[in-house]
Amino acid sequence: MIRSRWVLIAYVIYLVVPLYWLMSMAIRSNADIVGDFALLPNSPTLANFAEIISNPVWYEAFGNSLAYVVINTVISLAVAIPAAYAFSRYRFLGDKQLFFWLLTNRMAPPAVFLLPFFQLYSAIGLFDTPLAVALAHCLFTVPLSVWILEGFFSAVPRELDELAKIDGHSFPYFFFRIFLPINRGAIGVTLFFCFMFSWVELLLARTLSGAASKPIVVVMTRTVSASGMDWGVLAAAGVLTVLPGVLVVWFVRNHLVKGFALGRVS
Amino acid sequence: MLELTDVRLRADAVEGFDHVFQAGEISVVLGSNNAGKTDLCRLIAGLHTRASGTISVDDCKLGNLAPQHRPVGLVYQAFVNYPNLTVSENIASPMVARRLPAVERDRKVVELASMLQIAEFLDRLPHELSGGQQQRLAIARALAKDAQILLLDEPLANLDFKLRESLENELRDLFGKTSTVVIYTSSDPRDAFALGDQILLLKDGAKIQAGTPIDVYRFPESFAAMELLAEPIINHFESSGDSCALRPEHVLIGNDDVPGNVDFKMLVTANETNGNDSFIHGEVGGRHWVVRCHGMRAIDVGTTIDLFASADDVVCI
Repeated sequence: MIRSRWVLIAYVIYLVVPLYWLMSMAIRSNADIVGDFALLPNSPTLANFAEIISNPVWYEAFGNSLAYVVINTVISLAVAIPAAYAFSRYRFLGDKQLFFWLLTNRMAPPAVFLLPFFQLYSAIGLFDTPLAVALAHCLFTVPLSVWILEGFFSAVPRELDELAKIDGHSFPYFFFRIFLPINRGAIGVTLFFCFMFSWVELLLARTLSGAASKPIVVVMTRTVSASGMDWGVLAAAGVLTVLPGVLVVWFVRNHLVKGFALGRVS
Repeated sequence: MLELTDVRLRADAVEGFDHVFQAGEISVVLGSNNAGKTDLCRLIAGLHTRASGTISVDDCKLGNLAPQHRPVGLVYQAFVNYPNLTVSENIASPMVARRLPAVERDRKVVELASMLQIAEFLDRLPHELSGGQQQRLAIARALAKDAQILLLDEPLANLDFKLRESLENELRDLFGKTSTVVIYTSSDPRDAFALGDQILLLKDGAKIQAGTPIDVYRFPESFAAMELLAEPIINHFESSGDSCALRPEHVLIGNDDVPGNVDFKMLVTANETNGNDSFIHGEVGGRHWVVRCHGMRAIDVGTTIDLFASADDVVCI
């Protein structure tokens, strides 16, 4: 018992140290960071965060990222919820094949789709807009969402649909007032997966965004200036990038394990 | 009055059957597993099923009417309630759909909840109730619809037996007063006698007999009908070329020379008892027989005993 606790503590330290270092760097000045090694910051400062809030390059990048992440999450859920309901409730010709085909989309590396997306979006004038990245990410988040939601939806007994019919409720009433509230945990988990995929994805985001819609992950990789690397600001941006994920996790923490199992844990 | 015409419970049924359920009566539909009881309920409710047939309520054909528009309430075998709604919201659900005024709704919810003894749980969620209470809730909601037809698809099958007995008595009192067509499906002959004003026997998707429980018990038209009302099995034998059968409770142990009685010899192979009754299993003329006698009795396996039965109890078909 005691021994397993030590193992756990060691593991937690292993996980926390890099995070701690990131946060500690975020409140140090560059001189402090490149100076002598110190466990605690000598003179904590919020200057790095101030830089991000005041410099349009940084805060616009956050805005751009949030824009396409939110658009992507909304599209994914709006498409995946009806699709998952259909897969869980109806049998139709080729349903199983279609369902598996959805997953195969995840088997191709994103790089495969880079060139077609770039060409296509340039041709129709979508290039360098948040919508471009959001749509590209949908190729990965929609199948994932359908898979997660289908697992959760199938766990809801079909009798419930029938019961609502017999009680005299219309389908929209049942779907929005009963079915979706029952599955709010599932939708939260799906939202988390869409959000996280889109938020950390770099390759498509970088390629499909130009100067006008540069996302935060891209800006973070380009902080080398004439005066060298701006370590402090980079760390502060890192902290701010982690925050939304932490926030989303907090809301869906009770359903996450089931989500990782694609809803197939009861 | 609910009238079924040319009902086929299976897709491959050769010919359909007709039946009439009267208002103000409890009709028990008796059949073993997969006899088509659930299909019958789903057909009447308008849900997706392999069964087909014409259904008229008070001479008005339901046709392809959607379940939303049928005058039917349904209680499932599994306890199905809206998990995200409280007990009172669950009961109110059909009345919300009918757009009843809130005042009347609340009054009816309290009335139904106290009738089914769940009034103290109105603010709880269904999963916070016991199994019996969950099924009471389902029944309350079905009653709240105030439908002309109430379908109960083995509503007590998943409950333990004490709870069954008490709920069964309550249900009889509850439905006895209404002018609803109550259709109660079950695989247990005791339900037929305890609840049924009328019974309908189903086997393999076909109607085999209908009538009052006592009539069907006394005058079965087939061994299958006899079997459905017997516990646990019926005892077959042949008498002067006819095939005949006796119910386990009509076979007595002993040797009786009263003229008109029939006598058998049975080789005992097993005993079982439920405290109230004992079941002596054995062989008569190479057939498996069961004798049901009162009280706790056990007879050594391997011994041969004398049996007799009144000729009046013998059913020959």
